[in-house]
Amino acid sequence: MVPRTIDFATLSLQDALDLAILVEEEAKERYDELAHQMELHHNQDVGGFFRFMVKIEGVHEGRLEHRRTELFGAAPRRVRREMLFDVEAPDYDDVRANTTPRQALEVALRAEKKAHEFFTRALAAVKDPAVQALFAELCEDEVEHAGLVEQQLSRLPPDPVIKAEDVEDDPVAH
Amino acid sequence: MSSIPVERPALQAKDFKSDLKPIWCPGCGDFGVLQAIYRALAGIGRPPHEIAFVSGIGCSSRIPGYTTAYGFNSVHGRALPIAQGIKLARPELLVLVAGGDGDGFSIGGGHVAHAIRRNIDLTYIVMDNQIYGLTKGQLSPTSPRGLKTVTSEYGSLEAPVNPLLYVLAYGASFVAQGTPADMAGLADVIEQAIRHPGFSFVNVQSPCVTFAPEDQQVKAQRGRMKTLASVGHDSTNRLAAMGLAQTYGEVLYTGVLYKDPAPQPTLDALVRERQAKLALEAVPRERILDMFLQK
Amino acid sequence: MNDLIIGMAGSGGDGVVSAGESLIAAAAYEGYHAMMTKSFGSQVRGGESSCRVRLSTSRVHNPGGALDVAVALNWDDFLRFGAELPVSGDTVVIYESKTGVAPDALPLIGVTPHEVFAIPIADMAKQATGSDKAKTTIVLGLIAGWFDIARESILRGLKKKFARKGEKLVEANEKAFALGEAYAKEHPLKKPRAMERPVGRDGAKMLTDGNDMCAAASIFAGCEFFGGYPITPSTEIMQFHTRELWKYGGAVLQAEDEIAGIGAALGASFAGRKAMTATSGPGMALKTEIMGLATIAELPLVIVDVQRGGPSTGLPTKAEQSDLYMAAFSAHGDVLRPVLAPTSVADTFDVTVQAFNLAEQFQTPVIMLSDQEIAQRKETVDPIDTSAFTVETRKLPSAAELEQYSRFRMTADGVSPVSHPGMPGGNYQGAGIEHNEAGNPTASGRVHHAMNEKRFRKLAPLQARRDLFHIEGDPNAPLAMIAWGSIAGVCREALDLAKAKALNVKLLVPWLLYPIAEDVYRDFFAGVKAGLVVELSFQGQLYHLLRMYVDVPSCVTSFCRSGANPIQPREVVAKLLQASLALQHPINPIATEA
Repeated sequence: MVPRTIDFATLSLQDALDLAILVEEEAKERYDELAHQMELHHNQDVGGFFRFMVKIEGVHEGRLEHRRTELFGAAPRRVRREMLFDVEAPDYDDVRANTTPRQALEVALRAEKKAHEFFTRALAAVKDPAVQALFAELCEDEVEHAGLVEQQLSRLPPDPVIKAEDVEDDPVAH
Repeated sequence: MSSIPVERPALQAKDFKSDLKPIWCPGCGDFGVLQAIYRALAGIGRPPHEIAFVSGIGCSSRIPGYTTAYGFNSVHGRALPIAQGIKLARPELLVLVAGGDGDGFSIGGGHVAHAIRRNIDLTYIVMDNQIYGLTKGQLSPTSPRGLKTVTSEYGSLEAPVNPLLYVLAYGASFVAQGTPADMAGLADVIEQAIRHPGFSFVNVQSPCVTFAPEDQQVKAQRGRMKTLASVGHDSTNRLAAMGLAQTYGEVLYTGVLYKDPAPQPTLDALVRERQAKLALEAVPRERILDMFLQK
Repeated sequence: MNDLIIGMAGSGGDGVVSAGESLIAAAAYEGYHAMMTKSFGSQVRGGESSCRVRLSTSRVHNPGGALDVAVALNWDDFLRFGAELPVSGDTVVIYESKTGVAPDALPLIGVTPHEVFAIPIADMAKQATGSDKAKTTIVLGLIAGWFDIARESILRGLKKKFARKGEKLVEANEKAFALGEAYAKEHPLKKPRAMERPVGRDGAKMLTDGNDMCAAASIFAGCEFFGGYPITPSTEIMQFHTRELWKYGGAVLQAEDEIAGIGAALGASFAGRKAMTATSGPGMALKTEIMGLATIAELPLVIVDVQRGGPSTGLPTKAEQSDLYMAAFSAHGDVLRPVLAPTSVADTFDVTVQAFNLAEQFQTPVIMLSDQEIAQRKETVDPIDTSAFTVETRKLPSAAELEQYSRFRMTADGVSPVSHPGMPGGNYQGAGIEHNEAGNPTASGRVHHAMNEKRFRKLAPLQARRDLFHIEGDPNAPLAMIAWGSIAGVCREALDLAKAKALNVKLLVPWLLYPIAEDVYRDFFAGVKAGLVVELSFQGQLYHLLRMYVDVPSCVTSFCRSGANPIQPREVVAKLLQASLALQHPINPIATEA
């Protein structure tokens, strides 16, 4: 069986970087899936926002990959995606067909906070000082990202009084 | 996608993900189930072309198409018979079956008992949402008594089928329950189910986001679910498993309810054995008619 | 004499069917052509039972009409079979004298046979063996004695049959046989009727029934999977496979119901194996949905429907030809499915092989409509040279095609190479839902129409398959018959009888019933002045089906009646004769006016 948990105590810097990359990869893929879901359900605004998030997570991933390659070259990766579940990826249950742009930002905010919690929890278990430093940095990053999202949120006007579910057609039988 | 090579060129979850985009409603529990299946299959490590993934009809029965395995999105309620034909025809394949509660316990309910008693080596994943979603919210065989739907305007008068008790009673050698609220746990039981030799059953409490209230969605399950490990359940004890299964609809247990510690031989293995034993008696196909000659 | 029809009836405990089997086996061994049908009361065990054995020095096409020899071990049992054991004035009637019926007071209506023997069969059996259980061996001795048939072969068969039960039993039966034979010699027939020796092909024949022939043919054709559910009169096909199929690396699933039976078979086909199911009318109704799935998923599958009287439970042990509409039309959506029908035990081999070949070649379900009579009657069959048959297998994708595999790719002939699980690169989604060329679901009207067109187009070559039709008699004859299934045998004999009466008749026997090969019928109808479509169903389903597709001349009419009412060759001849006379003396209104 593939290990589905991570032993933080024995994590090396290389593993930790790879893990961080995979966290971003997972988030990126999830946003891509959610963007598709929104587009399929004709929620273009939120779809667009999720596409934006795909890009952002991609940038984060790229930065980490660059660092990893500089430090460890093409040394094979030892950690696997199967060890992670929804670290920075928003929950599927967090979105609905009628998710509003404001709610979408809240989705992203919850995802960033979730990631922050993950790295905070990990930090407590990590032994390697280099890994500790990396995770502390990632924690801070997530705080910063959350801050950015919060800023966006504060700029958004409140959701309109008439909601999509007030006017939409009934679901369709197949 | 990351360009860093993996230590072993093993199959990864993404290798099982097809290009087809799910048409499920955003928020549907089945998204999580699909992720769990990808990961379980990565854990198993069989290439997609060695996997046959059969389903019936319903929202959840779309699932084979979202994998890279050979899929067969068949007709309502008949996934199990078709899957058994596949397994008997090519026992070397990994055969998965998936569908909803209506597919498995209503229109196709008669097939479950027989797949179990044959102990054919396949894994049956039911995405149990207690409702007919694809046809717009009618009562399903697992809908709780009293549920108001478009076909039970004044509340259902019928008690639900208990899928866990059903399969345990018929002697399934592996029975588990999971929820997309715990994808790691779900991936784990699915992988265990696949590894188990014989008929294995995983009931997934996968809520319908469109026809069930918010308090029954994945997030709500997260607070409610109880792992079987946390209650110290002995998964080799069928009677204890049946005791816990009685709480279906009230308590959301997750994990392995029952795993036969000494599983019986599988039907496909017995078939192979018989084929090998009788192969020597075969006259060439072109001489099969000789048996009718009055000599 | 070169044709002998023997009918026997008794209680199940008497073993008349078993005796009939001894007789036909001996006849086959000697090289006679022979056919045996059996009929039973509704009791599962120990009820009344009967059999008819027809022996001939030339080919036997049907069980025949009135009996030459009637054996009644018990008159109540004999009379229960009424129409199946008709007695004429020429019938030699043999019955158990213990029944107390006087030879001049037989309970037969409207007929007084010339030769009647009240024989103490039970007492003779007791005398020979110490038990009255060997009654039918006495009867076999009587038959051998009076008609001079297969004496040595019957004895040889009895020896084989009883050998494993001990030498004593063999001896006792030999004694009983000898006693029967001696009785016959002491009481010669008024009009001696010794059978001629068999002519033509030397050596032994095959002996089997349609169900076993179908199962054996399927193995020849490469069948590797059988899924089904017991249903009379098709079950023997599954039973055969449970004995044989494993030997060929195949598997059999006796499923929990008819749907699961065909479902498993379709699953096996999806997995790349040749697969079949067998059933009868009620089972066909249940299998219909999965047949639709096989059509849209474009998977080969052979479905055998051994027809019985319907609707519903109907007459489970009697033949009828009333499932043709169901075979052709019971489908949801636009479906074209080849329907084939064998006409004898012998050609059940050809038609079964064709069914598999068409299924594989065109990736389609194929229905084979057998019927209770063909399926369960025993028939002698001349050895079949299997090397004359080709076996088709489905077109697999090439390595190049697997590079970018598209399961339902539009091809010129409508047939797309098909992969199966286990084949790297061939991964696709089989589905009941409409799909595009790649196999992905779609609700596009354009794609749906194109796919329907493809699924119909690939079957177009069937229209040119004249080898699936047989025209017998003078191809330019003005009198015509069309007959399918077991009734074709009736019409073959009618053709011979008509010839003997100097009638100029031709007969069209289709193996392919659907799609209707329009040109074949059009050509056949050219020059026809009067014709019959002869069928064993109340509706005359082929006749009406033909009228849907072909301009059936108004002089061609339907001659049909419900199952369990066998049509006799002489009835058909009478109809033809009538038609011929009418043609010679036309009531022509124009001519009258003039």
